[in-house]
This record gives sequence, C-alpha cells and structure tokens, in this order.
Amino acid sequence: MIKFNHVYKIYEKDIKALDDLSFSVEKGEFVFLTGPSGAGKTTVFNLLYREDIPDMGTILVENSDIAHLARSRVPYYRRRIGFVFQDFKLLFDRSIFDNIALPLVLTSTAPEFIYKTVNDAIKRIGLEGREDVDPWHLSGGEKQKVALARAVILNPPFIMADEPTGNLDEENAWQIMTMLDELNRAGTTVMVASHNRDIVTRMGKRVIRLERGKAVE
Amino acid sequence: MRWLKEVFLNFKRSDFMSLVSVGTIALAILALGGYYLINQTLNYIITKVEQKVEVVVFLHDGFDPQKAQQMVSDAKQIDGVDDVMFVSKADAYNNFIKDPDMHDIMKSFDGNPLPDSITVKLRDYTKETLAGVVKFFNAREGVEDIQYGGAEIENLIKIVSAIKLIVGIAGIIFAVAALLVVSNIIRLTVYARRQDIYIFRMIGASESFIRVPFIIEGIIHGFLGGFIGWGLLYTIVNVLINEIRKQTGMDFSGFYLFTPDYFNVRFMLSSIAAGSGLGLFGALFSQGRFFK
Repeated sequence: MIKFNHVYKIYEKDIKALDDLSFSVEKGEFVFLTGPSGAGKTTVFNLLYREDIPDMGTILVENSDIAHLARSRVPYYRRRIGFVFQDFKLLFDRSIFDNIALPLVLTSTAPEFIYKTVNDAIKRIGLEGREDVDPWHLSGGEKQKVALARAVILNPPFIMADEPTGNLDEENAWQIMTMLDELNRAGTTVMVASHNRDIVTRMGKRVIRLERGKAVE
Repeated sequence: MRWLKEVFLNFKRSDFMSLVSVGTIALAILALGGYYLINQTLNYIITKVEQKVEVVVFLHDGFDPQKAQQMVSDAKQIDGVDDVMFVSKADAYNNFIKDPDMHDIMKSFDGNPLPDSITVKLRDYTKETLAGVVKFFNAREGVEDIQYGGAEIENLIKIVSAIKLIVGIAGIIFAVAALLVVSNIIRLTVYARRQDIYIFRMIGASESFIRVPFIIEGIIHGFLGGFIGWGLLYTIVNVLINEIRKQTGMDFSGFYLFTPDYFNVRFMLSSIAAGSGLGLFGALFSQGRFFK
C-alpha cells in the first residue's frame, strides 16, 4: 500500500528531516508513527499529502510513485486519502452538514446522494439533529468526529491522522481511536501519528518509531 | 450553484472590503465615462470648428473675371478641397448690407470698397491641406491677400489635445488604481481564507474549484461598480446641466451627448462591461502570488 524507499528530505543545508527512511505499510494495516518532535513525522505526512516531494528516494502509494504525479492529478490522489488533523481543520462558517459534504461536492455527487450519505454519517457520529450547527458550537471531541466523518465520506482506502487525539480528553480520544479501529477492521489502511504512549500501547498496533529522520521499528 | 455559494460566503465574510472594491470600480467607471464624454464633446467641437474653416482669397481690384473663374476651376482640383466659390464684389456688398450695422458702414463709403474674392471650403481640415491651398493661391497672379483662421485653429486644437491628454491620463490612472485596489482586496480575501484554501486542497479540491469563486467575486464587484458608475455619471451630468441652466441660462440638455438617449442601454452595458473587465483582471492579478 505505502512504501518509503530510502527517502531523504533536506530542508536546510545539513539538516536532514528524513535520512534514508525506508518502511512499508501493507494494505489493511493499522500503523502508529511515533517519535519525538523533529523526528520527521510531519515531513512523512507532508510527503504523503503530496505537499512536498522527497529530495531522494521513492514513495509508492498503491504502486504509484507519488513524486511523479502531475500537478493536475494531485487533487484526485488526495481524494483517495482521508486526512484527520490535530486541529480538526473544519470550515467554521459552514454547518456540520456542509463540512462533511464537502468532499462529495468536490466530486460532483448528486445532491440526493449527498443528503442521504451525509445524514447517515452524522447519525453514526451521534450528532443527529445538529446538522445545521456551525462547528463553533461543538466540543473538541465532536469537532474531531466531524473531521473524521468528512475524511471517510468518500470511502478512501487509506486514512492518515496527524495527532488526532492531541486536543482531546481521554474519553474523546478513545472514541476517536475506536472509530479509526472500526474503519481499519472494515479494511481501511490507517496511519496515525501520535505522541500519546498510553493510546499507542493500549491499541497494540504496529509502531514505526522515527528518530532523527530514520525508522526504528 | 456551488461557486455562487462560495462567492456569497466571500461577500458575507468581507462585506466592507467588497463595498470598497465596488466603490473603487464605480469611481473608475465614473472617471472613464467622464473621460469618454469629455473626449466626445471635444471631438464634436473640433469637428464643428474645422467644418467652418475656409480660406478667403482677395483679388486685386479689376482682376480679369475669366482668369478668376479659371483659378476657381483649378483650385477645385486641390486635394482636401470641398468647394470653391467666386464671390464678386457686388455679391459681397449685397451680403454685407443685409446686416443693418454693416449697411450703415457701407453707405459711408463712396461706391463699393469690397474686392472680388474666392472662398475655399475644406473637406477635411488638416494643416497640410490648408498649406496646400495657401501655396496654390500665393503662386497665382492677381491675389492681393489670403485670410484664414489657421493659427487660431491650431491653437484651439493644441488646447483641446492637451485637455484630452490630461483627462485621458487621469482616466488611465483611475483605471489602474481600480485594478490595483480590486486586485488587493481580492488578495486580502484570499489571504483571509488561506486556511480554508489549505483545507480544500487537502481534501482534493481542484485549482478551479478554489480559484473560480474569487474570479466570479471580482466580476460581480465589477458588474455592480460599472452599474453604479454609470448611474453616478448620468446623475452628475444632469445635475450639472440643471445648475448651468439655472446659473447662466444656457441649456445644454439638447446637446446630443447630454440627452437621456445618449445614456441608453448601450452606454450602461458598456459601463458594466468595462467594470466587469476591471473586476476580472483585478481578480486574475490577485491570484498570481497566492495560488502558486
């Protein structure tokens, strides 16, 4: 599914964000990416978002070298990945419904289908009846649930979550991890960057630990 | 529909800046429309003045009328000459005394003091045509004097050209200023929405999905600004005509440029098109830096 092959990323002279990083994630796996600040987790995610490209090495996602994706193809690539961020990255001037519907709107999905699919998703995250509420009025846990619902609305084969529990209390953090686990059990590949040792340990999943841009599994 | 929703959200979020943008375009259209009207008026005045330009060639007293007629025939062949007429001293006298004041003056002379003359009307006034006519008659026998308002006309044309240049530069400055203001306002809107743009990108929005609403926003600003600019120009012209009428008694309302017919749908659509063009280019300029 994902294969980092001797990847280097150097942002400034002599500062290697990634230093000959190699690892792979199989289809249907649930993987934690851990490590101290500056270890290279954000760089890995930026490369996987295709925000950036490696200076050396290859990154294969579903057997395609994403560094060679044409600029015009990048949006289509991103639609096959569900992103979840620590700070939710919701659009605060739109309702919960509109936030979750956005990826479907991008793909010109029929309005009737959007209506049904989004309402089903809202029910699943327990926010039924609050479709028209702005994200301002939600708790941190609810915001992250909305973000997760948006990330999976297109049924992507791969979910990347960057510190998804970083701003949540323990109860909400577990709810989010449980939802990610359920998605993984349904066949979605999940990669989570996390500092939370307790969650990483209790989830009992494979861990790729990064240190100074190298993988230490 | 989706784009219109995005445009509406942009308007909602930056209502004051949108007003500034629309207002600036309205002022630019007012300035450009004003320039157009002044330009048209000046062109009209010049054309009218040029149409009145004629060269009068006074002949020596007793000059052979047959030679004079030959001179008339030859002069008709000059490029740019519309008509050439021989005016005998008797005809000139009769024309003069039609005016009661001139009548008394003429009666004070013994006999007819006026000479025979040739009047040349020009088809297209140019310095060259005028010079050609003057040169032609200067070289002829029997010519006593040649009169034309060349210097005055040249001065008038110079003054009018200077006014047109100043007004034109002002119009261009306004248009460029409007372009920059619209461009910067949309750039600020884009900047204010950079987080949203990042989210759009992360979830797979295409560049057109992100950019088009800003372009439509610019066009809508321009559309509204163009319409308001046209309305302002129409109002200002009417107020000025009324004020001039009140203050001086001069009525310009019949002048074709100032009639309601002239501010017709075509003028309005042209103003709106110009405004929309400004808005469009402003939006396009604003995108260059932020969307790279």
